[in-house]
Parts: sequence; structure tokens; C-alpha cells
Amino acid sequence: MPNREQAKTDVLQGTLDLMVLQTLATLGPLHGYAIASRLDQVSQGALQLNMGTLYPGLMRLEQRGHVRGQWGVTPNNRRARFYTLTAAGRKQLVSEKAEWSRMTAIMRTLLHDEG
Amino acid sequence: MQTALREWVRRLWGTLRLTRTDRDLEEELRTHFELAAEDARHHGASPDDAGRAARLRVGGAAQAMEALRDQRGLPWLNDLRHDLRYALRTLKKSPGFGLVVILTLALGIGATTAIYSVVHAVLMKPLAYSRESDRLVRLIMNMPASVSPTGRPLRTTVSLSAAEIRDLESRSQALSGVGTVGPVLMGLSGYEEAAHLQGSRVSATVFSMIDARPLLGRVFDSNDEAPGADPVILISFAAWHRYFAADPNILNRTLTLDTALGPRRQSRYTVIGVMPQRFAFPSSQTQFWMPFQATVPGGGAAIRGPMLGRLAHGISMQAAVAEIGPIVREIRLDKPGITYELLREQDGIVAQVKPALLVLTVAVGFVLLIACVNVANLLLARMAARQREIAIRGALGAGRGRLIRQVLTESVVLAMIGGVAGTALAFGGITLLQMLATTLSRIDLGTGVGFPRLDEIGIDGSVLLYTAATSVVTGLAVGLLPAFRYARRDPMESLRAAAGASASPAGVVEASTLRGALVVIQIALAMILLVGGGLLMNSFIKLSGVDPGYQPAHVLTFQVALPVDRYPDARLKTFAEDLAAGLRSVPGVRAAAYANQLPMVQLRDTAGGLWKTPDRGRTPAPGGPDARLVSREYLDVMGIRVIAGRGFSERDGAGRPRVLLVNRLLAGRDFPGEDPIGQQVYIGRDPYPWQIVGIVDNVRQFGLDREPEPQFFVDVRQWSGTGPLFPIGAYYAVRADGNPVSVIPNIRAIVRRLDRQAALFNIAPMEQLVTTTIAQPRMYTMLLSIFAGIGATLAVIGIYGVMAYRVTQRTREIGIRMALGARRAQVLALVLRKGVTLTIIGIAVGLVGAAAATRFLQGMLFGITPLDARTFAAVSLLFGLVAMLASYVPARRATKVDPIVALRSE
Repeated sequence: MPNREQAKTDVLQGTLDLMVLQTLATLGPLHGYAIASRLDQVSQGALQLNMGTLYPGLMRLEQRGHVRGQWGVTPNNRRARFYTLTAAGRKQLVSEKAEWSRMTAIMRTLLHDEG
Repeated sequence: MQTALREWVRRLWGTLRLTRTDRDLEEELRTHFELAAEDARHHGASPDDAGRAARLRVGGAAQAMEALRDQRGLPWLNDLRHDLRYALRTLKKSPGFGLVVILTLALGIGATTAIYSVVHAVLMKPLAYSRESDRLVRLIMNMPASVSPTGRPLRTTVSLSAAEIRDLESRSQALSGVGTVGPVLMGLSGYEEAAHLQGSRVSATVFSMIDARPLLGRVFDSNDEAPGADPVILISFAAWHRYFAADPNILNRTLTLDTALGPRRQSRYTVIGVMPQRFAFPSSQTQFWMPFQATVPGGGAAIRGPMLGRLAHGISMQAAVAEIGPIVREIRLDKPGITYELLREQDGIVAQVKPALLVLTVAVGFVLLIACVNVANLLLARMAARQREIAIRGALGAGRGRLIRQVLTESVVLAMIGGVAGTALAFGGITLLQMLATTLSRIDLGTGVGFPRLDEIGIDGSVLLYTAATSVVTGLAVGLLPAFRYARRDPMESLRAAAGASASPAGVVEASTLRGALVVIQIALAMILLVGGGLLMNSFIKLSGVDPGYQPAHVLTFQVALPVDRYPDARLKTFAEDLAAGLRSVPGVRAAAYANQLPMVQLRDTAGGLWKTPDRGRTPAPGGPDARLVSREYLDVMGIRVIAGRGFSERDGAGRPRVLLVNRLLAGRDFPGEDPIGQQVYIGRDPYPWQIVGIVDNVRQFGLDREPEPQFFVDVRQWSGTGPLFPIGAYYAVRADGNPVSVIPNIRAIVRRLDRQAALFNIAPMEQLVTTTIAQPRMYTMLLSIFAGIGATLAVIGIYGVMAYRVTQRTREIGIRMALGARRAQVLALVLRKGVTLTIIGIAVGLVGAAAATRFLQGMLFGITPLDARTFAAVSLLFGLVAMLASYVPARRATKVDPIVALRSE
């Protein structure tokens, strides 16, 4: 396995996890498409997740116990799998958010000093 | 960490298909796609465009499914599962090939498992009776010939008295405990089979030193050693079960024991405890323990017993011996020149079998190697046949690593199945080995006869672990060569080759050279095994063909225990005479006799030596001739030949002129150039002369492999010497017409008629005593021969396989040659040449290897040198012939090739 590729996905995975957890924390239980739409909307079209990225990410979060997936029905009467934030997921979100803020603060200082 | 573990467990479930199904995943993806398409329509796209736009936006469902499947399970585990399934399917497709491989590996792995279980139990496991067994040591002293009492260098265990032990213990820093442990033989009055119980006389310190805890009651303390203390005894778990039916009220019972060695006495002992089953101290034959001092006549303050010590923590053997040696020399007043060494008790117990076990370990290693080479060769040939399949898999995108893994999975699966079958074989092997190693457990035949720790051998967790590890390593080893050879190929070239177009000639040559080299290795290893097995076999044939100087066939031997109180020494002779007379009347008995000992009994009695002049004040010199007190018919019963003069007769009874017989060695040594018959000699301090009336042939008294020693024979009826008449009880021997065992019931009746309390024991045909002493060489010979046989068979199969494969490969070429007019003999020679060359190289390499290896057999050989030319030559010739036959069969098939068919075959 080429290591560079692996590293890139790792970063992406971490950010994706944070984004998904935050979305669920803000809007409550959502199905996969709703999560993708929300991220699309918030990023003004800059972040278009394809299924091959989104769903393995959701499965990983589920395997780690951060979200729980359950089949339900949309307001339009369509069967869809809804994802809910678990207590563990909420805790993970808090710590990841803190870590993210710390990281961005460092980055800002670093970039500002250099610029 | 916890999160990671949770994810891993869920993915493991996922691999096992216990979580979401494919359909569930597909439905979720479909919903996603439909929602995206709906969105597109809402934004005004036509249905067709909406689908395209959605697909563009959300990506392909197939790729997403692939990613989801990978995330759901553990990809490597999935691969492994696929590889395993594929391997089993391949195996099922060609069961014949699989069977051959599995059987071959089962033989190799089974043999190593069996021997490993022995090595593990005997050499590696700590002694069961103490957690500190690696710190228990014996002190050995080496006496050079100049100070040795026998005039020959002597190596023996140092013995100490109670006072000396206290002295050593207080002065030594290196030892954290000192005591004595010595053997003692006792008879349990009233128990026929317990007439010779093996026990240990130990000092009280010993039990605390090895931290021994009793199952019932208590162990000895220093009070039990005090002069005048009540005699006490501890009994073994086995003795408790066998003689007392595991009676829970055994404590404080009084046992009456007869001394079975030396002056006959009877004493009463109180049972104070029972030791647990695993307490095999100092060996598993030990049935009781008694305090050292109290049980030795006269309090035993000056009596010495073999020393056992415990090293203090962190003290090396070298440091310990440097400190202890001078102290011991001082307190024992040992002569200068004597050197000391320490021997771990654990090593001492197994010292006698260790070299042989190491030889067997190497031998099974060879067997396993030969098996591996065979299988590697088979796999190589098979990979060549499967080239097309592998090439297609490669062309379809299977990576090189993946292909290698697949091939290795297959070989490991085969090896694991072989390992299971091998374990079953090992069970059988261990049973056989225990059968071969089990001998009469009789202390009078010597302690070196029994195989140490035999009952501890078995297949336990550690052995199974070893077998599993061996199987995996074996599987990887045999798979590596084929895996790398065939997975590295360029798929295009492989496909071309597999399609029948001529493969690169270099590749073919290389493959055949590789296989040839493997065959050479096999033949060489098998040769080494065969030479080793041949040497042992030759040696064993020589050993069992030795003329012992007597005729053991048809002779039955036994002993009789008599109640000590009613039979003082004086009455023993009368009883023996009466019994011998009674035995002669038994139908089927030709002659009956008794003696102070029999051949193979390890008791040395010089009776004070044989001298040409009388001397009342002489001290008995060690190393004198062996004295035999025998009844009149003894020579006839044992079949000992009188070669000059006469044997004993009816006239030589008590009160008649005293006569004795000497053996050929003694006659030659003490009467060189003169006729000993008619000469007067003196025994020990006895002032009255004996006249030599005959010379008998030499007898191998102490074992078939031990040279005869000088001996003289005295008729018991004329003997009036002091000291116990029969130190370990009289031995009886009868010569029967047919099978000696058939007269046992009649003998039992006669003994009972003479005295209802007389107990018959140690009943054994003389031949059994002889075989018992050669049981170990016999076992080693059989085991090494079996291993050599397996190795040679596998090697021959290996040659056959390679030659057969070669002929098949060259069918077309042979066809062309024959079409062009080659004669059969030429074709035969063409094919055979390769096989003969490989065989000769293999044998040559094997001979060199054997010449280097057989010196490790030195100690196991009798009457033959490790470089015995005849064995080397015979084995080379025989094995060479068989190996050439193995290549002749396929070569002959080549001459039957029909040119037309051969040319059409592709």
C-alpha cells in the first residue's frame, strides 16, 4: 500500500467523522442523503461526498459505537436508514471539537507568523 | 483503545456475516441514489438527465459496495477465508495428491512429535517433586588412578555423615541446604510382592530443602533423627494404594519391615505420612522414606550417605564448587589429587539417556527434512501442472503477494492436516516407545536399566503447541519454493508456456536442476540415517550374539522371602537345600540350584579375596575376584562349562576336603604358565586352605556388554565365612525341559509346602533378565532403524517421483528419438543416466555426512567402531540398488513410448 494515499484518506476520514457527528448533533437523526445534502449546502457545493466515501464512514462510526443506524420512514414515506448520535458519539464530538480548535489555533498562529 | 477494540470485534462479526447483509447495504445506497435523482428533478432536470446527474454526483454503487464490504469485515481475514476455501477445493479435486502429501508430512511431523514429547518430559521439564529442582545438586568426586582404591580412575558421588553434613552446612555460603539421600531395600513382612521395596534413607533436612509437603500426615523433622527416637516411615502414594488399599487411617499404623540387604533384621516403623503422587523423589520407583540416622544400626553417626545439596540463590555451579571442594576435602580428610564437581540432580537422573535422545532428535529432524523435501518436490511438479491456472489468476489481476499467499495457504493447510494425522501417529509411537523402554523394575539388576521419567512422557499442551508450530513452519517451508518460483512469472509468459508453446529452455533446465538438488539432499540425509541405523543394528546383533558363558534358555529364576524371626542365617542354608531337593522332584524340572547371586545381578562380593598364602591380619583388598557361593548343581543349571578338572559333586559336602573352582580368567591371571588344578589357595583371612579342583569358562557377570571378570566358585555347603550368607536373599534357578514359565505353579506349591509363610518373588526366566539389560540398546536400535526406514522410503519415493515426472515431460522428445531410430537401450540409458548420477552424488554426500555424524553414536555402539567400513559399504550398496531401481521403473516406461502416440500427444 502506498503510504501517501493512506495518509490523505486518514485526514479526510477524521474531518468527515467530525462533520458527520456535528451535523447529527445539530439536526438530530438524519439519513445518509440528508447528511450529504447538509454538508453540500453548508459548504456551498464545495463538499460533494460520493456514496463510496460517506457510507463506509458512517459504517465505521457505527462500528465504533458513535452513531446508531436504524431503518425508518422519511416524511415522504420513503424507507431510509436514519443515523442517531449515541452518548459515546456526543463525547467523541466534544473531544474532537476541542482537538480541532486547538489544531486550527496552532495552524493560524503558525501561518500568521510566517505570512 | 476500547473504541478500536469495539470496531475490531464488530468487523470480525462482519467477516463472519453476523451484521448487515449485502441487500441491506444495497437498499441504503439505492435510496441515496433515488433521493439524489429526485433532487435533480426538483431542480428541473428531465428523468433521463436526473439519473445521469445523480450518478455523477453520488458516484458508482458498485465501488461504494466494495468499500462498504471492506469496511464491514476484516479484509485480510476475508482473503484468508477465500484462500482456505480455495485450498480445500483444490485438495478435494485431487485427493490422491493430497493424501500422499499429508501422509508424508504426517510421518515426519509424527516422528518429531513423538521424540519431542520424550525430550520434553525427560530432559526439559523440571522435576515434578520440587519447584527448585534446578538448584538441587550432587557432589561428584574424581579420583585419579594413583589414589583410587581399585587402582583405576574412579568417579563417584560424595557421601557424608551426619556430623560432616552439619559441618558443611555451617561453613558453606554457596549451599542453602545440605542433606543425604541414599537407597535402601526393605521387605514388607507378609506381602509376597513387597519383599523388595525400594526406598530412600534421607536426612530430615532434605524434605525442607526440596520443600516437600505430604498428602497425609507430616514429613520428618530433626526429632525423628535423634538417637533413640521412635522409628518412623513415610510411604509413597503408589505403595499406599497397592499395599494398603489407600486406607485413610494409615497414619500411626505400625509396619513390620525386614531388611532386604545386608544382615537380616526385622524392625517396626510407625507410618507418619503419605507423600503425593507426583513426589517421585529421587525416582518414581521410590516407595518409602525413612530418616537416615535412626535406621542405621548403631545410630549411624559415622555412616555416610550420598550428599544432596541446594545451591543458594544466584550462585553459579563454578563458584559453588570452588567453595565446597576445599571444605569437603578438609572435613572428609580426602587425599590430595581428588577433584570435585557439581552435577545437577536433574541432569544426573537423565545423564545416561541424554546422548541417545539427542541422536534420536537429530534423526527425526532428518526424517522431517526428507519429508519436507519430498513434499516441496511434489508441490513444484504440481505447480508446473497448474501454471495455466496461476497465470490466469495473475492475468485477472491477482497481485504477486496474493498469489504467494494462496500457494502458502495451500501448503500450510496440507501441513496442518498432516500435523493432526502426525499427532495420532505420535500417540502410537509413544506407546511403542514406552513398551520398548519398560523393563523389570528390579533394583538388583542395577539402576541404569530403567528409563528415567518414563511415566512422565505423554502428549500434553506443550507438545501440541510444538506440533502446531512445527506444522505451520513445515507448511511455510515446503510452500516457499513453489510459491516464489511460480508467482514471480510474467503472466504472459506463463500463459504462453501453459498453452503448450515451448517454455524458455532455461526455465526447464533450472527447474530440473532444482528438483535434482532436492533429490540429492534427500538421498544424502537418508544415507546418514541408514548408516546410523545400520551401525546400531550391527552393534545390537553383536551384543545379543555375545556368548555370555552360560545358557539362559529354559532357566527360571526366583527368590524366596522368609520370616526373619524364624529363620536366622543358619537355617537359611537348610531351607535352601530342602527347597532345591523339592524342586528337583517337580515334573519338567531337570535340575535346581541356588546361589548368592545370578549373572546380571549387580552385586559384587569378593569374600576377602583369593590368596596363595594365609594371613590372618590382611585387610580385604578391593578389586579382588568375584566370589560365588553356589549349590552343587548350579553349574549344570546355568549351563556354565567346566573346561578343566571337575565341577562340584555330591562328595563335596560339609566336612569334606574344601574345594573350589576358578574361572579361565582367574586361572590365567594368578597361575600364568602353571596348572592351577591341585593348588592350595586361601580366602580372605581364613587360615585353612581350599584346593582348586576345576576351571570353568568365563561368564559375563555384569552385562553382555561388560567383559568377564575373574571369578571363583565355592560350594555353599562348605562355606563357613562370616557376614551374611545371602546379602540380597538367595537366588534360585531351575532348568526346565520346555518353557520355564510352565513350572511356576508347581514351584509355588512346593515353596508353600515347606513353609506357609515363605513368599515367592522376583520370578523371571533367565532370558528375561538378559533382555532387560539390553532393553535400551534394543529400543534405540529399533527407533533409529524405524526412522531410517521411513527416511529411506521417502527418499526412494522422491527419486521415483522426479524420474517419473521427467519421463512424462520428455515423452515427446523420446518419441522423436525413437522415430529417428534410437534403440530401446539407448533411450533407457538416456533416462537412467540422470537417476544414476543423482543417486551416486547423493550417496557420496551422505557417506561424507555419515562419517562426520556417526561419532555421536560412539557411546551406543558395542564391538564396532563408528566408521565401520562394512556397514558403510553394505548400506551404500543396498540403498544405491534400491534407489536405482526407483529410477529404472520410470525409465523403462520411457522405452515403451509409442513414437506415433508421443508425437501426437501435444
